[in-house]
Order: sequence, then structure tokens, then C-alpha cells
Amino acid sequence: MLAPFLLLTLVACDQGPGPGPGPDDDDDDDVPSPTAVYLTPAQHLTRASIAIRGVRPAIEDLEAVDADPGALPAIVDRYLTSPEFAATIRELHNETLLLRLEQPTFTYPAVGPLATATARQVNSIFEEPLRLIEDVVMTDKPYTTIVTADYTMANKAVADVWGLTPVASYDTWQRRQYAPERRGSGVLGLDVFYNRYRSAGFNYHRGRANTISRAFLCHDFLESDIVIDTTIDLADPDVVANAVIANKSCAGCHQTLDPLASYLFTWRNTLAPVAVDTYPVTYFTPATSERWRTANKRPPMFFGAQATGMNGLGRVIAEDPRFARCTAQRFASYLTEVPLGDLSPAWVAKLQKDLVDSGWSAKALVKSIVLSDRFRISHDTDEARADTLVAALKVRPEQMGRMIKDLTGFDWTVTSTRALRGIPYGTAHVLDSDFLGYRVLFGGVDSYFVTDPVHTMNATSSLVGKKFAALAAEYVVAHDRTAPLAERTLFTEAAVTATDPTVIRAQLALLHSRIYGELVAPDSPEVDETLALYDEAFAASNDRARAWTLTLIGMLSDFRSLFY
Amino acid sequence: MNRRDLLTYMGAAGAAGFLAKSLGSVAHAAVPAGPPKRLIMVMAQGGWDTTWALDPKLQSARCDVPLLGARRLFGNLDVYDHVSRPNVTSFFTKHADKSAIVRGISVSSVSHNECVKRMATGTRSERNPDMGAIVATDHGNDLPLPYLILGDTAFAGEYAVSAGRVGATNQIVGLLDSPTTTGEDAILSHYANATVNRVKATRGAMGYNKRRLADFATAIERGKKLVPVRAGFGAAGRTLTLANQVDLAVDAIAGGISQAVMVNTRLSWDTHDTIDDQAGFHETTFGALTTLVDELSARPGRTAGTKMIDDTVVVCFSEFARTPKLNANNGKDHWPVTSAVVIGGGIRGGRAYGATNDGLEAETVNFTTGARSAAGMTLMSNHFVAGVLTACGIDPLAHLGPTEVFHAFVA
Repeated sequence: MLAPFLLLTLVACDQGPGPGPGPDDDDDDDVPSPTAVYLTPAQHLTRASIAIRGVRPAIEDLEAVDADPGALPAIVDRYLTSPEFAATIRELHNETLLLRLEQPTFTYPAVGPLATATARQVNSIFEEPLRLIEDVVMTDKPYTTIVTADYTMANKAVADVWGLTPVASYDTWQRRQYAPERRGSGVLGLDVFYNRYRSAGFNYHRGRANTISRAFLCHDFLESDIVIDTTIDLADPDVVANAVIANKSCAGCHQTLDPLASYLFTWRNTLAPVAVDTYPVTYFTPATSERWRTANKRPPMFFGAQATGMNGLGRVIAEDPRFARCTAQRFASYLTEVPLGDLSPAWVAKLQKDLVDSGWSAKALVKSIVLSDRFRISHDTDEARADTLVAALKVRPEQMGRMIKDLTGFDWTVTSTRALRGIPYGTAHVLDSDFLGYRVLFGGVDSYFVTDPVHTMNATSSLVGKKFAALAAEYVVAHDRTAPLAERTLFTEAAVTATDPTVIRAQLALLHSRIYGELVAPDSPEVDETLALYDEAFAASNDRARAWTLTLIGMLSDFRSLFY
Repeated sequence: MNRRDLLTYMGAAGAAGFLAKSLGSVAHAAVPAGPPKRLIMVMAQGGWDTTWALDPKLQSARCDVPLLGARRLFGNLDVYDHVSRPNVTSFFTKHADKSAIVRGISVSSVSHNECVKRMATGTRSERNPDMGAIVATDHGNDLPLPYLILGDTAFAGEYAVSAGRVGATNQIVGLLDSPTTTGEDAILSHYANATVNRVKATRGAMGYNKRRLADFATAIERGKKLVPVRAGFGAAGRTLTLANQVDLAVDAIAGGISQAVMVNTRLSWDTHDTIDDQAGFHETTFGALTTLVDELSARPGRTAGTKMIDDTVVVCFSEFARTPKLNANNGKDHWPVTSAVVIGGGIRGGRAYGATNDGLEAETVNFTTGARSAAGMTLMSNHFVAGVLTACGIDPLAHLGPTEVFHAFVA
């Protein structure tokens, strides 16, 4: 039940120009636009909740920040311990590491201990780095641990494929350890990382080295233009090896790229799934660690710094200021949907400092981001600034899945025996699947062909949103129609069959707060609009259940649901 | 997108540097765009070896060419072919007259991702729209799915609302059975529009927010338009083989669903150690191109007496080429100068444009004639993209900024 005094609180309008009182008032190092208009505390909470968890805030939390905006930081702290935040951490890092593949050429066979596994279960091996990072963040370890951890996280597939101490279930993730010589390098020491980023062999792991540099330092060697010296005899490995050292047009990049790649000769170039007929498979081959001596002839080195072994590499990456800056950029970019290169340098510098000063707490970094003035901008009244201000954030596919389930109880999954590289597909959430579901069609990434999310709507994302809304609406209306009051999901102010206009308005006001994060009165203009939808739907169907179903379809697929 | 947008997306410094490099000291020149065309892009992603067909070379100390083959003229168009690659021969035998080969396109990088976006968008930012997105938005924005992405990689940029994918197993079909009636849709639209109007009056009044709001409203209408053309997408579960992509592309264009389509050969062109695989890839690709152009040549065009090929441009390209010399693994690595083939209405087919030397380095060319010229310029990817856009009836300067246009192949 909404408190009566809160029902009188209209929050649909913005507070007005100027920063006003806010959580980040003492920050004068990074001042957003002077013509920015800020979200109300309740809207700010909604944005933070979806960014951190992918679900809408509880009504109690909305009421709390509406009554006292100072309540927001404590609520954010609670969000940061939720399992939904853990999922966000995995999704955030997947947009960088691009691991969630459903490609036949990357799907290992279901043989040996995985003989009865589905394709989804086999491909869960790609979750290993994401689960390790999640564990680091959720157990409050310094974020640098992602490149220095002496353990990994494994489920049954990971343990069986790579030969770790067994884990009983595909749904259970437990800490495990690899052999001592590869410990202490976190995700840098995981086979699956190199399985995802295969080496062409003759390229001597340069692609992998650049992936590490791009992902953890935001330094991409490939962004530079090149001019190839055509006098080099590419058929002679010695000539090529000399050129990347001595030739000016080559050495500029290769003098740092190649030594970084030299750390990676302990991994085989590739292991095609077709070549696998039993588990475990061997990807880590310490015996070849010195092969750089005959290949690129560059001893392992990190941008000129000496560091021994993979754990040494992890340590120097963690100590590199670019790692802190890159971490701040990636978190801020993900949570605000602002492209990496468009983030305010001053803001990034502040976030970088916050991260380091907090003892490398990723949670503190996220909190700093979502409580900042930049994060709570609604819009800008200056046309030029408004042109590039990202202040309408679209929900990602995974967020949409969690949001709808949280609101309605409906979990949209697909189970199929259709074969992915000869293996029955299994079960997946429709918005977490590319092979049979709609992750890409709703704007997500497939981590291989589609590597950047789409932060706006198009025809297919609109159709996905509508279909999801329709299925969820039918589900919750059917459920709540027969459920006792205490067990209803949404219809707690009015029964589905209610006819009393006052009760229906109260129910609509509740839906506004739950679905849109709007604390509005039953007689507010916002409720008037939604009541008109309900009335029109009832007039067309003469069926209360259908009227509520259509009302929920409209609300769940509304701009206020899909953007935040 | 306009010049201002380009600067916004690339960053002013980056855009200025890029344009300056591309232009040299030559002033840009406007080239009259022709009538509006549809566009089908066929991307041979991974890096093809241009010496296997599009850019014939002699075996020399500077260049290794396929053992089986020779330069052959199809009219005035010279191609490297061999009896063991009949699809290549067949394609040019049938369609050389409407095909222009463009050689010596410099991409200034050997990174797959970098070069794909440079060849597709004519810019350095993946946030800029590619040729298909531009053509679709400028000429077909009233269609249900203006830019149909069947292939893997595409760049819709600010025109993302106009683009759409069908899914790895044609999942789009599952979305086209509407869960609501037409009458209910009208009620829902009324509600959605009320929200749009209210947000437009406040936080969606201008800028980025306004564009997202407009996309939201447009996407709903586009979604509705797709439902009646469900049959055009074929059966659910259909995987996107190259042959299936070609079928869908032609059907989508013919059926008025899309203005532009991105197709991907889905072949492993990146032959670092197996250069002979290029033979089969060329066969598969040119087999598909033959089917595509055959279909476009057979189906009726927009006006009486014309065929689809008369108002459609097909561009087949790879992000870069392969080194002239074999490496120690009998493969070839990445090479920053490539070739492409442009086919269709409004194309001066039957000959090649641009040039490379015997070491596959780009020669300077005259942009009006396409002939090798010491006084000319190096043909860059943005010049080429500008030329394709011109062929499609688009003013490239409005999208790419003040770039020179390589228009020699445009009729």
C-alpha cells in the first residue's frame, strides 16, 4: 500500500536547471553542464537501480528517497551486494572480453564426462573469466585481483574440460586452482581466454597480446595507421623478425607488442573443437614458454618493464596507471551508455582516483559513478550540449529479462533439441541467446559478429519488447487472477476482475510506481492516461482480464520501461 | 549525417586528421548523384587475395600468383581465372558488361576490424553508418526494414532505428505473429504516442534524448509494417548460409521490405597458412554473385520494361587483401590495398578502374577516368565509399564530409 502522503507527490516533472542538492555536491573537480537539468531523487534511484541491477526499485525504496534524498547512498550499498549486481558485473565485462559465444566453430563436443551435456552447458566454459571477476568484485577483493588471482571459478564444464578438481553441477560455480606455474595471473592465466582468442600461429600471439592491452589498458595497437615496407621478404621469417625490430615502419608498434606477446607462448595457438575427442584437453603447455627465442626473438616484457612469468605480467598490469584509468572508463561507459572515448576526462580522472583510493573496490567505483552529478542528468536545455548528452538510457537485453521477471514473475526461456554443432541446444533465457533467442535482435552483442550494443530501438527490438510484454502480461494477469491476495505479484490494490473505478485507479498508481518508478497519485494526469488505455481496452474486449493484459503490454513496452 | 555529425562522432581532431590525410591538398568536388538505387553489399570478410581474380598479376620476385590461372579479358575487363574455378569465369562471362572492378583501394591498416569499418563506412568510427545504412535511410526510410543485415558485421550508427537483423536461425519470424489485434494495436499506439508527446515536451525536447524518443516511435511503426510481410522472410529455423542470404536479400528488396541489404560470404578468407583455400572461396562467392545478379536481371524493376538490376547496385568487397608474397607457411598475411567489384544499374561496367603495380602497391589514379595517373591521387577507402554512394544516388558529402569522390565507375 502506498502511503497517502506519497500519493500526492508528483515526480514526473524534473527538478529544474542547476545541480541543486545532490549526492555529489562536494565534487567540484568535474562540473557537468551548467544548463543540465537533473533527475528527481526517485528517478535517480530508478536509473541507479537499473544500471546496477537491471531491475526497477522497490516501492519502499522509491518512497524512502522521495522522503529523504540522502537515503540513496545506503540503498545503493544494498544494491551492490545483490545477486543482480553480480550478473551486471558479468555482463559489463562480457562487453569488453566478448566471451559469450554461441558459434559452432567454438563449441566443443559433448563427449566423455560431458556426453549428456547440452550446447548451452558445454559453452558455459566461456563464463569462467566472468565468474572469476564476479567473485573478485562480490567478495570485496581489490579489483586488481582479476589479473593476479591464484584461483579460478569452475562449474562442471570448466572443471571437466580443463582438468580441474571436479564440480558436480553446471549451475554451481566453485573456486578451483590450476597448476602452480600459472597461478597469480587471474583471467590472464585461463585457457578459455586463449581458446576464445585463437592465434594464427605465424602471428606469434600478437592478436592475443593486443586483446590484453585493449581490454585491460584501453590501449589498442590496431588503431594506428600502418605503412607497409614492401621491400621486406615476408616469406623469410628471419627477415620479418628483424624488420619488426629494426624497420622504423614496423618497430613503432612491435617493439612493445611483441614482447607482450612473448608471455603467451605457454598456450597453444588453437585447438579446434573438431580435434577434441576426450577431456580434459591441454591448452597450457609450459614446455613451449621459451619458444619466443626462435619465433619473434623478443624476451617477455611489459612496455619496457621486466616481469617474469604470467603472474609477473598480471602484477605489472595491475600496477600500470592505465589499468586503473581503463577500469574507470569501462565501468563508467557501461553504466552510462556513453562511448568510451566520449567520457569526460576530468570525470574519468576523478573515478580513477576514487577507485585507487578505495583500495581498488569495484563497488566503490560503481557507487561513485551512480551517485555523481553526471549520472543523474535528465537533459540539457542547451541545444548543442543536448546533442551529445546521453540521458535516455536503453535497457540491455539481459536487463530487460531481469526487469520483466522481477515485475511479473515471468521468465522467458527457450528449450530446444535443435543442434548447435551436433549438440542439443538446451535451455536459455530468450534474451540471453543468439542461436534461438533475441539477444542481438534486442540490441545486444553476440560477442563474435556483433560486438557493440545498440542503445536505441529499431523494428526488431520493438517487436521483441512487445512480444515479451505480451507474454509477461498474460502470465501475471492469469496468475494474479486466481492467486490469494498475499501471493499476487502485481495486483495488490485491485483484483483483476475489479470494477470500482477508485480501486482501479489505485491499482494503476501502483503500477506506475512499480513499472515506471513514478510515485503518482491515483487522480494524477499520468494515471488518467493509463486509465484511458485500460478503459479503451475494456471497451474493445468487454473482458477485465484482457483489459489489464493490454494495459500491462502498453506499460511494459512504453518508453518509460525501455529507457531510464 | 552531415559534416558536423562526422566531427562529433570521430572527434574533431581525428576527423580533421583523417580528412586531411585522405584529401591531401586536393579540394573536394561535388559529383552529381544519380537516381535513387537499392544497395546489396556482399562482404568477403577476412581478406581476399586479389591476385586470384580481381587484380591479375604476373608471377615475379615481388608477387606470388596462383599456379593455375592466367589473365583473361572479358570484353575490356581483365580477370585472373582458370578452368578449375568455373564460377569466376561464368560470372564474368555473363555479367562483365555490368561489372566494374575497382583496384588499388588503400585502407591504411591491416587490422580486420579497422579495415572492415573503413571499407564499409568510409570513416574510422564504428559509430558512423555504413553504405547500406545510408542508402536505406536516405532512400527507403518508409520501408518496414530499410536496412536488412543478413551478414555478420554491419554499422548502422545513428541510423540504427532503420536497421534490423533476422537472427542466426531466422528468429525474426517468431516475432511476426502479433500478440495483439489491429484494434488493440491502435489502442496501444495511442498510449505510446501520449508518452512520446509528454516526454518530447520535457526531457526529450532536443538532442540525443529526442533522437531516442523518435527512434522509439518509429520502431513501433516499422514493427507493424513487418508483420504483413512475414512470408518474405521464409521459414523459421533457416540458417544464414550465403545462398540463403542471397535469396532473402533479393526477396526483401523485391518485396519492398528493404532498401539495402548486407550479406556476408561467411567464408574463412583469412588464409595465413592455406592460400589455396582462396580458390574455393572465390568459387563460392562468385557462384552466389552469379545467382544474385541473375535474379536481379530476371525480376521486374520499379518501372515498366526495367529489371531490378537497373535500380540496384551490388558491391562486393573485402576489408583488405593479402600480401603479394607467400609467407613461410604457404599462406599470405594482411595487405592494406584491396580491390572490389561494383555491379548494377548506373555502373560503367566492362572495365577496371584504379591500379596497383606489380607489387600490389596502390598507384595514383585520375578520379574522373579511373586511369593510372602520376598527377592523380591514391584511392582511399573513403573515396571508394563516396563513389558507391554516388552510384546509389546519394550525395556522399552530406554523409562523409568534404571528401573527394572516386566516381569514375559511375555512369
